[in-house]
Amino acid sequence: MSAPESDRMIDAIEIEVFNNRVLAIIEEMGAKLVRSSFSPNIKERRDCSVALFDVKGRSIGQAAHIPIHLGSLKGGVDAILRDYPLETIKPGDAFVCNDAYLAGGTHLPDISIITPIFHDGRIKFFAANLGHHADVGGSVPGSISPSAATIFEEGIRIPPVKMVREGELDEGVMQLIIQNTREPEDRLLDLKVQIATNELGSEQVLALVERMGETAIDRAVDDLLVYTARRLKSRIAELKDGSHSFTTWMDDDGFGGDKLPLAATVTVDGDHMHLDFTGSGPQSRGGYNIMPTGVMATVAYTIKALLDPELPANSGLFDAIDFTAPDGTIVNPRYPAAVGARTTTCQKLSGAVFGAFAGLLPPEKAMASCHDVLGAMVFSGNSKKHDGTYVYLETLAGGNGAGDALDGMDGAHCHITNSLNMPAEAVEHEYPLMVEEYALVVDSGGAGRHRGGMGVARDVRILEDGTTFSGRADSYITAAEGYDGGKPGGNCRIVRNYGTNREEEMSPKQRLLTLNAGETVRMETPGGGGLGDPRVRDIDDLARDLEDGRMLEATARRDYGDEMVDKALSLSN
Amino acid sequence: MYRIGVDVGGTFTDFTLLDEAKGELHYHKTPSTPADPSEAVGNGLADLIADFAIDPAEVVYLGHGTTVALNMLLERRAPTIGLLTTKGFRDVLEIARQIRPHLYDYTVTRPEPLARRAHRFEIAERVAVDGRVLNPLDLDAVESAAVKLRDAGVSAIAICFLHAYRFPEHERRAGEIVRRILPDAFISLSSDVLPEFREYERTSTTAVNAYVGPRMQTYIGQLRDRVTGYGIDREPYIIHSNGGLLSVDAAATFPVRTCLSGPAAGVVGAAAVAEAAGHPDILAFDVGGTSTDVSLVLDGRPLFTSERSVAGHPVKSPAVDVNAIGAGGGSIAWIDGGGALKVGPQSAGADPGPVAYGRGGEEVTLTDANIALGRLNPNALLGGRMTMDADAARDAIDSKIAKPLGLPVEEAAIGIVRVAASGIARAIRSVASAKGYNPADFALFAYGGAGPLLASDVNDEVGCARILVPREPGTLCARGILLSDQTFDFVRTILGRANDDGWQQARNAFGELESQAEEWLAKDGVPESARAYRRYVEARYEGQSFEVRVQFEQSIGSVSLQDFLTAFHAEHKTQYSYDIQERHVEIVNCRLEAVGETPKPPMTSGATASEDERSGNARKVHFGAGGGWLEAAIHDRAALSPGDSVQGTAVIEEMSSTTIIPPGYRAVVDAIGNLVLEQSQ
Repeated sequence: MSAPESDRMIDAIEIEVFNNRVLAIIEEMGAKLVRSSFSPNIKERRDCSVALFDVKGRSIGQAAHIPIHLGSLKGGVDAILRDYPLETIKPGDAFVCNDAYLAGGTHLPDISIITPIFHDGRIKFFAANLGHHADVGGSVPGSISPSAATIFEEGIRIPPVKMVREGELDEGVMQLIIQNTREPEDRLLDLKVQIATNELGSEQVLALVERMGETAIDRAVDDLLVYTARRLKSRIAELKDGSHSFTTWMDDDGFGGDKLPLAATVTVDGDHMHLDFTGSGPQSRGGYNIMPTGVMATVAYTIKALLDPELPANSGLFDAIDFTAPDGTIVNPRYPAAVGARTTTCQKLSGAVFGAFAGLLPPEKAMASCHDVLGAMVFSGNSKKHDGTYVYLETLAGGNGAGDALDGMDGAHCHITNSLNMPAEAVEHEYPLMVEEYALVVDSGGAGRHRGGMGVARDVRILEDGTTFSGRADSYITAAEGYDGGKPGGNCRIVRNYGTNREEEMSPKQRLLTLNAGETVRMETPGGGGLGDPRVRDIDDLARDLEDGRMLEATARRDYGDEMVDKALSLSN
Repeated sequence: MYRIGVDVGGTFTDFTLLDEAKGELHYHKTPSTPADPSEAVGNGLADLIADFAIDPAEVVYLGHGTTVALNMLLERRAPTIGLLTTKGFRDVLEIARQIRPHLYDYTVTRPEPLARRAHRFEIAERVAVDGRVLNPLDLDAVESAAVKLRDAGVSAIAICFLHAYRFPEHERRAGEIVRRILPDAFISLSSDVLPEFREYERTSTTAVNAYVGPRMQTYIGQLRDRVTGYGIDREPYIIHSNGGLLSVDAAATFPVRTCLSGPAAGVVGAAAVAEAAGHPDILAFDVGGTSTDVSLVLDGRPLFTSERSVAGHPVKSPAVDVNAIGAGGGSIAWIDGGGALKVGPQSAGADPGPVAYGRGGEEVTLTDANIALGRLNPNALLGGRMTMDADAARDAIDSKIAKPLGLPVEEAAIGIVRVAASGIARAIRSVASAKGYNPADFALFAYGGAGPLLASDVNDEVGCARILVPREPGTLCARGILLSDQTFDFVRTILGRANDDGWQQARNAFGELESQAEEWLAKDGVPESARAYRRYVEARYEGQSFEVRVQFEQSIGSVSLQDFLTAFHAEHKTQYSYDIQERHVEIVNCRLEAVGETPKPPMTSGATASEDERSGNARKVHFGAGGGWLEAAIHDRAALSPGDSVQGTAVIEEMSSTTIIPPGYRAVVDAIGNLVLEQSQ
């Protein structure tokens, strides 16, 4: 636990000034990482994060890119502190790691670089950053397969290893890593940028230590963590004491079989909160498992989203909350379970926490379930422009849950992801593919006093024979739940040759399906749940939805009743 | 002969008047008139004509920064537009890039699309990436959509089809059909507004153009009437988002290009003033009432971006890269749940404004803190036209901030200033670091009413070598308008490998762009001698998804493929610290900026007072950790001449702003009247 003492007097002004200084450094590191990296995944989709830790392994700040990354960064720093006595770490060293079991990672594509920052001959801080590398080897391009049975199928495993020793890059370690991936040149460029990013951060942090002095900076770090804990505790204390549970479901564990629960029980006790994930399903036989560091990051995300979106991202948060994730379950798997596809599970777990909070929060803060998946379409084939094969990964947004005052957002990412799409014009330029449709899914938003957001459809035509398609999603059977009388959102679907006489509904967990030129494959992502009784929806809003074709008239009659629909239709004419 | 620059802001409309015969620059402010902004323009012109006994026929130039387009997007009072898209892409405008605007806060939503779904029509037509027509344009579908839009009373229509950036034929034919059915509608084709690939950004930019179009045309009519009504027979120019001037006709056709008109003029002014002062590299910040704009100028040229969004709508037309944060004089100070002092982003605005305004404001603002610290003279704002209640500001700080934190009122007020300054400093540092620059290599350029007031506190965190404060920092946007050139950007997407064939395509494209540009310059009456071109090739390594811009001064016809590749690798290395010589390069866009150079006012010191007029005033000012309450010498800016130096502890006051010179700093007046602040030890 990080807080030195709970009744400590903190400096109201220095906290804010110091937090701005820390954030300026982290943002500068983040800018360098994004600006200089090569691969589109880090550069354009910004699938990367930066954080600073103190020598005790406490996180002082994180740039707000991808919430889940905080888990791997914290896990990596803890693993270094565990494996390397401080006296064996030298100025100019830098560590690399990614492994879930050896280095606190959450999945192997996220490679961290962690650099100690020395002052007066002692380690004072760690600069850390992480990039999601598009491929780290393993059985499938992209290294993420829901049906991977063990972590050995998911790519190269890197425990905390010194990649830079006293300023000298260890070329052997670098080659060992990059030659175990499908795009060694991209890995090399990006890893070097990651190393340089920490060097920049180290310089800036040292300048700050020099400027403030050791005593003042130590105090400022402690103050910042105490402040964060205190601020969160004040939010928790506003909630009524008690326990609330919510269970959400995944269609299966990646290997087929039964629905699998993700359960969250949230207990408020004064200004402290406990989250218990007991009741979540057994360990996945596939890659859907979440490591405890991933659970930690998911918890941090949900707490910020639900209680205080502007709360500084640092270890102070965990002085106000803790969690339990039982051993041998999907939220705490045993070695050597696969973990690559954990994003979907994290989404569902976030959904479970959001659901449990609905019972805790005042009604005006309630929210129905979001789509709670991450739809991913992966195409691979011969490149029309370059030698070799291409791998095109697209992630799809869905509908978000309705709130007390607002309809759910249509076609937007939720929870632990928020990455950009690839424009259709860019896809068609780059790959032998054609985007036939990219649109909102009619009827997918759950009905309610406020409507759930609409899911997204993306329909892609194959232009060259022998193109493979892999799809990852969930909620083919389950759906985003409505709240307080609201209806559930629409389901996920994958359809081959949509709208033709060869149309075929597929399972959403497709692995390397081979398609021929002229065929199409379509993914429709789930919509969000509605909130409140549909029969009290504002009639103008219903009329507008009908005019805008967000639902069919027949669906509206089923969900809102004839009387409301007739009235709404008369308004719009 | 006279030249006039006018910048319409939310509260005031600012004027600069250049008397070319005397080489004098004058400043003026008048309250804005939001219902018809041209009214304030007219009022100010009348004042200038009267105050300086101007013959309107001698006004040879009127340049104008406008917020008409910006306000329309912020206020969203206009009816939504119609949109025709390729079949399958009706919702592109709404899905956008599918991200949510705030990672954690689900109450922050995307703006309503500018075209509601019922008014977005899918048209059967499809052109492949290589221009093959896979599906011919369904003329009947266009006609029926146009009829439905007409019946729904829609008067502005955007048309955006896939791959039209390069193959505009379907859009043009659709446009003709719509025009036939809706002869008075404002119609925007994406291939005219932004012929660049990436369909969402192109659609959004085209939709913004259509949305603001009808109102902009009306406004331009009103403006013309006002100007001619005062006997000025020159056509006004409008500043567009890249800091250049557009004819009113061009602004009426492409109003989207005026969305960031005012801030762009300010940066152009900052760049020109700083360069003339011998500081071509600056980090500029403009502190207004509710927000602060931050920008970077390198080698006398503002940085440009095509990644801006306006009120949540991406607008890809070239713009001066200005980053806004929610901290200004009116920003409200508060204590959060963890006990930390915060400033903003909530603002008391101009009405009710700070407590000290005495208009019913009860929330403590940054301005109140500056008044309580003696930094702002309660009696000297706007040359004494506005007075402040210092005691009320002090009492409010005491009860709302100081007492709850257990601090003396001065410390609370200093805290408000420091917290605001540290937030602004963070924004300035991030602007520098996003481009890989070190603030120590730049001068900090402070403008806007409250910029010079905060400059030394901000620089404590930013670490620039010196601070530059222009004359009348509060009206710099209007002054920038007198320092702008006429510019217009032309662009063509290539998307081809940089081999002999691809380079030939680029050369051909520049040939076409240059003839378009010449036509435009001729139409705007720019003499041959004043014409200039800036040529940019935007390219990337294959496999990358972002472009590097390589600039050429010479005609592309004289640049060989090898020259281009060498320049590209070098530019990539400059910007990203490495190159990959062995990778193929891909040409994405050819961009031509046509420039019509305008005569500029001379940079003069503007000193008007003589030596003995200088006042010997002093007042108590609080300098925080730098010494607490100290007796500060108060100087009238107008009384300072080039070469004068003011040693801190001092305050320099002028009509539109106040500059603080803390102990340990020294301000020197340079040859053109700027204050240059440096630490004196």
